Formats: sequence, structure tokens, C-alpha cells
Amino acid sequence: MKLPAFYLLDAISKNVYEPYARHFTPFIIPLFLETYEQVDQNTRSKMEEMLLTWRTGAPNGKELFGVGPQVSIERAIWGGGDSGYGADASRAGRGGTTVAPVSKAQVLSELDFTLSQRERSLQQNPYDTTAQNHVNVLRQLRTLVEAGVSQDELRDVLNQLRALARSMPAPPAAAPQQPSYQSPPPQPSVPQYPPVPTTFSQPATYGVPASEPSYSHQPSYSPPPRAETKPWASTLPPASALLQNTIAPATIPAGTSASVAGPSSIPLNNIENLFSALVKAGVVSSNNGTPVGAGATAKVEDVKPGEVDPARQTSQEYRRAVLSQKIKLTNADITKQRPQVVPFLYDRLSSQCKQCGLRFAGNSIGKKKLEEHLDMHFRQNRKAGQNVGRGHSRSWFIGVEDWLHEISDSKGKGRADRRLTAKEAAVVAAKEEEAALRASHVVVPPGDEAKPISCPICKETLQSEFLEDEEEWVWKNAVKKEERIYHATCHAEALKSNRLAALMRSEKASRSRSVTPDKLSLRTTPPRGGNSDADGSVRVPASPSTQTRFAGTKRKADDPDSPIKEGGGTPPLKKMTISTAA
Amino acid sequence: MESGQSTVAAVPTKEWVLEPETEYRFELDPGTSLAVKLIRGQAEIFGTELVDGKAYVFGQECKAAVFTWQGCTIEMSPILSLCTLRCPSTEYVSEETPMAAYANVHTALEQRRVRALQAIRGSPISDDSVPAEPPRVLVLGPANSGKTTVCKILTNYAVRTGQGWSPILVNVDPNEGGWAVPGAISAASVNTPIVTSSTANTLGSVATSAPVTLSSNALLPLFYWYGHKEAKRNPLLMDRLIRNLGQNVQDRNEDPEAVSSGLIVDTPAAFASSTGSGLKDDQRQVLIKACVDAFNINIILVIGHEKLTIEMQRIFGGRINVVKIPKSGGVVELDHSYRERVHGYQLHTYMYGLRIEPPLGVSDATLGGEPITDLTLAPSSLQISFEDLAIFRIGEEAMAPQSALPIGATRALSEMQPVAVDPAKGGSRLINSILALLAPPNPDEAERYDEEVLDLTVVGFIVVTALDIPSRKMTILSPNQGSLAGRTAIVGSFEWSEQ
Ligand SMILES: [Zn+2]
Ligand SMILES: [Zn+2]
Repeated sequence: MKLPAFYLLDAISKNVYEPYARHFTPFIIPLFLETYEQVDQNTRSKMEEMLLTWRTGAPNGKELFGVGPQVSIERAIWGGGDSGYGADASRAGRGGTTVAPVSKAQVLSELDFTLSQRERSLQQNPYDTTAQNHVNVLRQLRTLVEAGVSQDELRDVLNQLRALARSMPAPPAAAPQQPSYQSPPPQPSVPQYPPVPTTFSQPATYGVPASEPSYSHQPSYSPPPRAETKPWASTLPPASALLQNTIAPATIPAGTSASVAGPSSIPLNNIENLFSALVKAGVVSSNNGTPVGAGATAKVEDVKPGEVDPARQTSQEYRRAVLSQKIKLTNADITKQRPQVVPFLYDRLSSQCKQCGLRFAGNSIGKKKLEEHLDMHFRQNRKAGQNVGRGHSRSWFIGVEDWLHEISDSKGKGRADRRLTAKEAAVVAAKEEEAALRASHVVVPPGDEAKPISCPICKETLQSEFLEDEEEWVWKNAVKKEERIYHATCHAEALKSNRLAALMRSEKASRSRSVTPDKLSLRTTPPRGGNSDADGSVRVPASPSTQTRFAGTKRKADDPDSPIKEGGGTPPLKKMTISTAA
Repeated sequence: MESGQSTVAAVPTKEWVLEPETEYRFELDPGTSLAVKLIRGQAEIFGTELVDGKAYVFGQECKAAVFTWQGCTIEMSPILSLCTLRCPSTEYVSEETPMAAYANVHTALEQRRVRALQAIRGSPISDDSVPAEPPRVLVLGPANSGKTTVCKILTNYAVRTGQGWSPILVNVDPNEGGWAVPGAISAASVNTPIVTSSTANTLGSVATSAPVTLSSNALLPLFYWYGHKEAKRNPLLMDRLIRNLGQNVQDRNEDPEAVSSGLIVDTPAAFASSTGSGLKDDQRQVLIKACVDAFNINIILVIGHEKLTIEMQRIFGGRINVVKIPKSGGVVELDHSYRERVHGYQLHTYMYGLRIEPPLGVSDATLGGEPITDLTLAPSSLQISFEDLAIFRIGEEAMAPQSALPIGATRALSEMQPVAVDPAKGGSRLINSILALLAPPNPDEAERYDEEVLDLTVVGFIVVTALDIPSRKMTILSPNQGSLAGRTAIVGSFEWSEQ
């Protein structure tokens, strides 16, 4: 079974829970696990994401396919036992059994999930400093985990994560799939998952021992686990120590957690402490120049008075080294000398991103840049997973004015990121999208003019209109999909909500060589009467996509009265032809 | 240098052990793809470092070289091919590379950048034997001498130094097409290494709405449209566009590091030799001069061409540093049909995004440094009225029949004359034509002039896929859903249709 099919199943079950989810339940475990076994890492992490949403995918906020299948699948892919779903640290090692390993992937998945929820709530309420703090801490945790930490530390991070998750306020309404484990009192929820996992003893059937992770998988965004190639990994302060130091009183000592208190006894509101501890740990360890890790970089720009600015120092060193070379731009010098610059391209830049290969200086500044850079990878990856529902397209190129003033951002973050994260861009994009949708229409079949039809989604009647130029009746704001007419806006909204569209679209696009483009994208006919003004009148700096979007916003299909801009009705063509005659 | 072939038939990966300063070169046939993984050591492709353990995917007849300064081991996937599993059509290890010379050129350019920055900042001058001017480099060379590769390596080295450089990479070779489609000339500021993966985006990729990490996959070039692959077709127009582009490059607002980074200009082979290019020597020199003036060139690198080096020294020697640099033995002769196919890949990539199937069994693959799934784009097919779009052809070849000319016009149209194309007339030759959609003209009517379309930048490329003359409509393949109404486009001599 392919991923798109899974998304379909996912969408159907969530949207029309009865009776579909129940129908799928009997075979969801083998279906999921068999597919999971066959797909690549990338797809696996997508499936893991989806699996996490199933925890609360049912209309009542419970497991979409029931607790049994949920636990079985999670144990099978993330390793079983106590680290699995519903198992809290309080139960680790219960009954003297061996503690099952926690996989990095599992921790990362849960981290990402919680992080994305916090980010969403932050987006809705940008002044929520608590949420901001949560997001910061979670990002730092993530970097720690990704850098590679011990099994005990992983477990600790997982426990902390769940504790944090519980302490968080419920995400805003925009996050419909709020996992139950995040919200109400944790204690009552525990009994739902009997401590002895016999009820859910599945794995053997699928060749997956419950007690160990069967796949050494990594989410697509994390670098291969090569701890030895990361010079700083070894000197990383142990996460557990870090966490213990701050949340001291009630923290569970790693690995010896058998008798320690349940989640509810972990101080939940000590997030500031945790944060500052991360920072502190980083600062402390950044002095020797080697470690980076999460907090290490959070405060590195605080150069103490009297110290040499490491960035400047490195630059000066570089400049001296470059200028000291006796090389002239002559045929002879170029071909005869031994190049001396190679170390400056490799060894002298000792912090390397293991995703794309970019290198940064080994000093604290370089490490801060690396951290920002890794953060960007992470966000881009998640963004890629949260496709807005219509697939991607190529924007119009940047115009002269914007190009001239494109600020060279050579100090850290890539431009791509800056452009794509701009909040305005998102708002404009949404508007443009809506305008484009409203402009689309479907021709009414002859004879059906009088027949009222309603949108299957909102049940409202579709408005029809006679287009003078086309000499035909059309339904406005309409699309035809599988022989049914929807409001274009409703349909797009529905697609967005389950990501189905994105997948279908990219699937189709990948086969595009044999498919005509009409089938690929919404077919739109330019509006009559309305006029698209030049991009020039509205300028959105530094955002080509934004600019494009603006061009699109100018469709005023629903607004034939919009004033026609000067020159709009007279394309420059006319003037040109006349003047060429002169 | 081949260390051995895997004995497992099912996974015939192949390892190559490369000695320091050697390179593994490969050329892919149409329809095949290849993945290369760095196992040990350090390696780079055209100046961009590989991360160990990542499978770098190549396709669309990519020809590339994995070079190592320090020595390395790389692993090649089996080729993904429609017919069979096999090796690249050409692959070998070469111990003769010009990389040492290129690295020395890079050092010399770095010296200038450092000095330029010192000068801008008013820092004490540490060495006045090096001019305190940002390096502004024109790269010249005959066909298949590796001009683009040299430009790419020098750019990549600059952005890898960690000094915050962001050189402007300029492409004035319309046959190459730079970042979009053939026929364009363009310039973009680059601040992360350009990753090689396909012939469709040798200079990196232009921004789309798809999220990417490397800014070299989201470049923001400025484009002008020449519309033909050969400089000889309309040298006057070339000259004008080069100067337009140069003016904008010089007008750009930049921070001191960016200014100090300088620029690197890739040129057409026609600039190097009149043999085969159809350009007369004086036309050639005029175009080179246009580049020198437009970009305020202070260094000319001539690749492996004694005669041209001497010629350049004679013309520019007093004020410009003219240096001959060696040519790579890895550069291959490219025939005409290859170029045609590459143009096809470029167009397809422009509309649909870069899409290369990784070879079987390759996981954790990266294409152009990004996860492989995220680069697919969905273009739009739009039906528009003839009236929505004003289309022009530039110069004589647009010559309309006498009857179509405005009263009083003479037949002698200049090479620079924009002539309106009427889609309703037979012989408009619009079907399958690539049109450059232009930026809006000056909103102030008083500021407009006859040849304004020549000086407008390109916002995108569209293709006419169908004409319905009776209802005066045409179908357009457009990269996005943006409205075309009221816009102006130029048609050149490039056509494209989807197979
Ligand atoms: Zn990276
Ligand atoms: Zn509706």
C-alpha cells in the first residue's frame, strides 16, 4: 500500500469516522506495519507523523482505530514496552523487567509533534511568552536529541517532554487533532493502558519483537547517526544531567526510575528553569570551543568584556592568511604554485551541517550559525510536510526594484527561509488563493440553467451567472470534481484540511509527462471586465512569491465594478505599433 | 583506481578510491540517473562539498566530476535506466585536473575581496600589492572549454570561505540560459554553494513556492530575454541587454561584504572565436567590450586559448588583468542534439520542477542538496483571449508582410524594433513558442518609449500550447496561476512542447 492510499484512508476515517474507521480497524495493524517495512525513511517519518495524529483522531478525541491497534503499531515501530505509547516513566522497569530502549526517532517524532502544536498556538497568539518559551525549549531539546544522546538521556528527554506537554495549555481551536495525552490530568488516562502489555501482544506476528526497535530509522530531517563524526557530540553535557540540575527535586534519575513518581509529580511549570539551564549548560561548555548542542549557542554572542570577539578574530586570521600568500594573477603563478587555501575550505571550518555539507567556523559564532542553519533545515522539512494543499508552483521572477534592494543576507540564515516564512506572504498567499478560487467557474450544461444545485460541502446553492463574452451560463466560484460541482473555496478548504490534495497533486505531477497540464491544476479562465494591474503598484519587498501572489490577487472576478486602472484597457501594444510607424 | 565491485548481484554498487587531487568523472545518458555517496574522506563536485553518507542523485544527462583534495572513497549506485542496470556511459578517474590552478585563482580573488572590504571599511591596508577592488571576472573560452564549470567553482569557493561573501553570478550565454530557460541572460547573488544534479540547473535553482534550505536553490535572478541561442542572431540586442543587466548589477544596493565579493560572468563560446560562431571578429569584440563596460570587469580569465589570451591582452591589457587558465580534460564535446535536449530539460524543470527518479534501492537521497520529494511544481494551463496579452517579436525576423505594416512604415525594420505579433494571422508561429512575460512598463505614460519592451526584465516564461483563432483564444502553459491580462510578452526563436 502506498502512502497516498494511507492518506486517503486517514482522511476518510477522520472525516467519516462511522463506519469507516471501524471497518479498517481489523487490518490496520498489518497494513501499517507491512507498508512501513517497505518504504523509505522519508515515507516512514511521514507515516509516523500520521500515526501520532491517530492517537486522537476519533471524533471523541480518542484513538482513531482504538487503543489496541494504536499501541501495537507504536510498539512495533518504536520499540515496545515501557517507552511506548501510554507508558510513562513511572512504569519503566516495573516488575523488574528490562527497560525497553527508547528510539531517537520516537523522541524526535513526539518532539516535533508537540513543537508543531506549540508553534501553531504561538502563531495564533504571538505575544504568548509562555508558548514562546516552550517553543524555544523544545527546539533546544530537539537539537540535543538530534546531536545524539545516550539511551538514558533519550528516556529522560521523553519523560520531560511528556511532562512539558501535559503542562501546556490546550492548543487553540485551530489544532483540531489535539492529542489527549497533552491535555487533561495525566493520571486518569493511565489506566486506559494496562501496564502489562499482554492485551496488545502483537508484534511476533509481524516479525517485530516488542522489546526492541526493529528499525534503526531516522526521520528524514535528521542526519545519519554518526556520533563519531560530530566533534562536539562527545563533549555535550548529558541531557539527563542538564535536566536534573534544573528540575532537580522531582526529576527521575535516568535509568533508575523504577520507583520514581508518576508524571503528575514532575513540576510542570518550571519551564523557565529548564530553559535557562539549557542556556547555561551551553555557555559553560562553549568556552573550550568544542561543544555545540542545544543551549550552547543560545547566548554565545554575549562576549564578555575583555575577550576578543571570536568572529572578528577568525576573520582577521583568515584575511591575514589569504593576504600573506604571494600569488599574482599571472599565468605562471596560477599554474606553478601549490594552492594553500584548501584548509580554509575544509579543516578551518570545523562545524559541518551533515544534511547539506555547509561548513561553519569552529568557534562559538560559527556554531551559532550552524544552529540557526539546522533550525532552518528542520523548519523547511516540516513545511515540506505541511504542504498547503495545492502543490507548489514557480512564482514570477523578482522585478528590478526588488532585485536592486534585495538585502544581501550573508550573515546567517538563508534567504529562502526569510522569504518563505514571512508572515505577510502567508496572508497574501491565502488571499490570492481565495481570489483565484472565486474566479474559477464551471460552465452550466445546456438545459440545466434553471436547476438549482448546491455545494456538497456547505449545502448552499451555487450562484450562476451569464457571461456575456462567452455567451454561456456559468456557476461562479465552482469546480467540478468527480462529476460533482463544489464551491471552489469549499473544495479547497476540504482538501487543505486533510492534506490529501497535496499528495495527490504531487503524485500526479510526477507523472506529468503523460498528463496534460489541464488535469494537473485548477483550470481557470481569466475574468472578464476585471483588470489585472501591474505588479508595480503594490510592492512587497524581498518576496518573489509574494509578488506573484499579488499579481494573482488582481483577479476581480466577483467585482466587475473595480476601477480599471489607467492604461489597463489600452495595452502598450497599441502605442507601440503606432510609434513604430513614425 | 577501482577498488572492487560488490559481489552481491542484487546491489551492484561500486566503490572508487580516489587519491588526493584526482577526480572521478561521469557522463549520464538520457533517461538514466545515478547516485553517488561519499564513504570516506572529503570530496567536492564543482566546488561544492559532499556530505558523507548522503546519496547525491544526478540525472538529465548530467556530466560531473567528484574531485578530492584529500583523497576519498565514493560509492556509486547502479544506474537507473529504462533498459538495464549499468554503469554511466562514461566514467573514469583522472589524475590530471586543473583544480590547483583554479584554487590559486580563487586565492587571488580572495585577496582582492579582502582588500576591497578593508578599503570599504577604512581598515588599515595590510598589503598594497593587491588592488583594493572587488574581483569582477569575465570568463572567456571556446565551446566546451568548461567556462560554466569554472564560474561555478569560483563562486562556490567564495561562498564556502565563511567570510559572508555573496558574489553575483552573471550568465550572458543565451544558449546556456542560466537559471531559467535558454534565451535568457541573467544575474543572481549567490551565498551558498551551488549543488550539481542536472543539466537543467547548472547554476543553481530559482526560488519557487516549495520550501528549500539552500539559498542556492532559491535564487532570485534578474532576467532579460534575448530569445535566441546564438549571439550572431541579433548582436545589437545582445549588446543592449548586456548593458541593461550590467547597469542593474552596478545599481544594486549591497552591504560591504557583498560589494567586496565582486562578480563572475559566464559568456557564450561565440565571444571566444569567430570560427563557427558566425560572429565577425569586430562583433565579438564589441560584445566582449559590452561586458567589460557593463560589469566594470577588472579580471579576464581565458580558458586554455592562447590566441584569445593574446587578443584580450592586446585590447584590455593595460587596465585589466588578463590571465590564461588551464582547461579541464574532463570537459566533453557537446553536440547540437545534446543542447536541444538540455533545453527541453530546462523548460520542463522550469514548469514542473526538478524531478529525477533516484536509482533503485537508493534511500536518504538528496537532489540538489534538498530532500528529493519536495521539488515538484504544478504549472497551470490558462485560456486567455488574444487581447489579454500583447506579444512582440524583436527585429527583422519579425518582419511582417507589407500589408500588415502601418501606413507610411518602410520595410527596413531595425534589429531592435519591437513588432506586434497578431495571433489571429496565419504564420504567427506562436504555437509551442516560448514567450517571455515582461515586467510591467513604466506606469507613467510620459516615461514610456518605443523600445521600452527591450529594457523590461522578464517575470516568467510561458508557452503557447493551442490557438483557437475563430474564438480568438489561446491556451497558455504558465508556471503559476497569475493573471496574464494586460501584460506584454516577447517571442523569440525557442519552441517547446511536452513529449
Ligand atoms: Zn545544512
Ligand atoms: Zn460550498
